[in-house]
Amino acid sequence: MTVLHTVEEAMLVAAVVMILVAGALLLHRIWYGPSMLDRAVALDVAAALIIAGIGVKAAHDGDSFYFPVMLVLAFLGFTGSVGIARFIAVRDRPARRPDGKEDHR
Amino acid sequence: MSLWSEAADLIGAALLLLGCLQSLLGVIGMLRFPDVLSRSHAATKPQTLGMLLVLVGVALRLRDGIDLGTLALIAFFQFLTSPVASHLVARSAYRTGQTGSRGLLRDDLDPQLSDGDGDGERPGT
Repeated sequence: MTVLHTVEEAMLVAAVVMILVAGALLLHRIWYGPSMLDRAVALDVAAALIIAGIGVKAAHDGDSFYFPVMLVLAFLGFTGSVGIARFIAVRDRPARRPDGKEDHR
Repeated sequence: MSLWSEAADLIGAALLLLGCLQSLLGVIGMLRFPDVLSRSHAATKPQTLGMLLVLVGVALRLRDGIDLGTLALIAFFQFLTSPVASHLVARSAYRTGQTGSRGLLRDDLDPQLSDGDGDGERPGT
């Protein structure tokens, strides 16, 4: 029982560490993302990562207090990237390199 | 605590670990892929498979009726809304010509976007 409990605790801590590392890497994409659409996709993934992190916390504590937050994030998290894709991205065309080709990266 | 609940707790923790690993791998793919469409391809891994694994793991560890309903609603809304966002982002990427430096081998969208006369709107122009 106690050994099993320790193993589960270690797995949950490893899961939280993976979520945090993924969020830090995602901040790199949001900060340096060459176009606005990359940032929109990264913000979608950030909402998914927040939902997963809250889920790991709920599974660790065994309470369902933050489930409404997960629900709201699941059905409102896409509005930001929809707004970016519809209204901002057209002004943010990729830069042109000196040889005339577009810099897509 | 019976054997079944211990087994459900352990399997739930394993599924949570797998889901978070899936999210991490998807984010690494987002960092390494070269253009918007392939980054969007990598971004769907945390949004669908990682999310589903995490939600099933939470459901196996909580095992309560109302919580199972809420988790099912979360999965439903996530699977309903993330294709909308991906579709709009990919459409905007095509319209602004950010479909990658190698170009598309076969472009089925171009004749549908044009009016049927001439070459139509080329990506990147």
